[in-house]
Amino acid sequence: MGQESYNLGKDGEERACNFLQQKEFRIIERNFRSRQGEIDIIAKDQDFLVFVEVKNYSHKSFFTPIYAIRKSKKESIIHAAKLYIYKKKLYNTLCRFDVVAIYRHISGEIIIDHIKNSFGI
Amino acid sequence: MLVKLKSAALYGLEGEIIRVEIDASKGLPGQSIVGLPDAAVRESRDRVRCAIINSGFEFPPYYFTINLAPGDTRKEGSLYDLPMAVGILCASNQVSKERLKESVFIGELSLNGDVKGVSGILPICHSLYKKGVKNVVVSKENADEAALVENLVVISVTSLKETVEFLNKEKEIEPHIVDVSNLFKNDQEFDVDFSEIKGQTHAKRALEIAAAGGHNILMIGPPGSGKTMLAKRIPTIMPFLSSDEALEVTKIYSVTGLINKKRILITKRPFRTPHHTTSNIGIIGGGRIPRPGEVSLAHFGVLFLDELPEFNREVIEVLREPLEDNKVTVSRALGSVTYPANFMLIAAMNPCPCGNYMDTLQQCLCPPNKVQKYWSKISGPLLDRIDIHIEVPRLKKDELTSLPQCETSAQIKERVCKARNIQEKRFKDLSFRLNSNLNPKYMKVFCDLKEEVGNFLKSAITHLKISGRGYDRIIKLARTIADLEGSTDIKTEHIAEAMQFRTLKLKE
Repeated sequence: MGQESYNLGKDGEERACNFLQQKEFRIIERNFRSRQGEIDIIAKDQDFLVFVEVKNYSHKSFFTPIYAIRKSKKESIIHAAKLYIYKKKLYNTLCRFDVVAIYRHISGEIIIDHIKNSFGI
Repeated sequence: MLVKLKSAALYGLEGEIIRVEIDASKGLPGQSIVGLPDAAVRESRDRVRCAIINSGFEFPPYYFTINLAPGDTRKEGSLYDLPMAVGILCASNQVSKERLKESVFIGELSLNGDVKGVSGILPICHSLYKKGVKNVVVSKENADEAALVENLVVISVTSLKETVEFLNKEKEIEPHIVDVSNLFKNDQEFDVDFSEIKGQTHAKRALEIAAAGGHNILMIGPPGSGKTMLAKRIPTIMPFLSSDEALEVTKIYSVTGLINKKRILITKRPFRTPHHTTSNIGIIGGGRIPRPGEVSLAHFGVLFLDELPEFNREVIEVLREPLEDNKVTVSRALGSVTYPANFMLIAAMNPCPCGNYMDTLQQCLCPPNKVQKYWSKISGPLLDRIDIHIEVPRLKKDELTSLPQCETSAQIKERVCKARNIQEKRFKDLSFRLNSNLNPKYMKVFCDLKEEVGNFLKSAITHLKISGRGYDRIIKLARTIADLEGSTDIKTEHIAEAMQFRTLKLKE
């Protein structure tokens, strides 16, 4: 189970990166960690510094899953984002939090959904 | 980028201009609202966000600092949704700034971007206009009410999208106009009439005098003698509200949220009948943020307290100050507010718990201490403030079975209006309009008694032990009686009639 879900997660992040690059995002960093959280992908979309959370849904589904980002998860992402901004001295930069959700439709097709500016502090 | 626009706040019956300043800065996206917002204002960030997205606009990923200035007064309610949303869109260049300066924005947003109405729009717009505001943007629900303020340009919008189109000059919205004189034509009919009441000529005369001069009245009688019936017909003999009065009454109702689409202007005199379980806060006004109570809702109208002794003693006693001052000031931690309360008090009660005390036909079964206890609920100071005390006896057999051949409300009203016109002319440069509101300073001017009349009154008060206030009130009542007759001087017979209305205390 452990290795399997790790692989699935890696797989999803890989897909998300490719997807973002297609959209002309420039990937800057992956799996940036702070003590309390992790950001899956940090990318640059024109002027915006984008913190991307990748959500993977392994089960097949008829309908779009609810892209649940819990409060605790949100807070950990924000924490990591603040640390990143502090480390790189990017205080006066336009920032955004995006979510990329990947799930499999029952037909087997893989669907990638991109939600821009999904939450704020 | 900084955007400034205007909104409003309501404190009591006064509206204030609130400047909404929105700053969009770089950094992690988010919002903070400063300027003493209450819970409803803080919640608006979620409504604004959803409304912007669901109206098809982009919610910009900036850090927004929203300041509601002046920063030291409390802001409450949901009326800042619209200015905040417009400001956020403007800060991200989705709305042109050009038309922002001239307008004041007031409205609540629903999640799908519709603009909803808020309460208290009339007093807000009235004060804003006096402060020099020319344009307001309000929801369609509030447009009629806002348009009651003459010469104010009211832009009525249904949705955030429409507002943006208007501001970007993609769509023109004609100012909303209401025909005020038309509003007065409606609902001036009553389904009751004085001619339905048999007998009780004495009570009717008393009510006519009370209505003419705005005097307070207490009716005492056994159950079923028609006290409530009489009281219900008082609005039918009172003159219509003037447009200024109507506006003032409507303001109070607007604050309480009692204005609806069918009735945007209160044109009928209010007739309030609070139940006897009402608390003193319900009567006088109050709450965390002070709201008007029944005395203010009865402004320029009638407050009818049926079964007076059944009210809590406290409730009756709080009436003392508004009866004297015609206004009430309610102070709470969140501020002190003065509401007008110029009402006519009409109270009805039984003479004893069983109701037959003064009856000639039936015997009273109450022990004397019970009767005394019943009466002790009404204090002397309150009775002293009531000018007219009348008995409403049970009808006799033949009166009851006879066909009513009485005056109609219209006939009585004509006389009442005549008397009120005389008063209006007399007090035209002063702050009050009715004899009952005459203050001591003008008593001498308008109620000068001739020597013989003065002597008559002097001898009467020494016999009847009438208080100083009672003395003044008798003269004011006599003034009204003289006005009803069209007499310029107060004569002995006027004083005599006025006095026989105040003899209740002596009987006990």
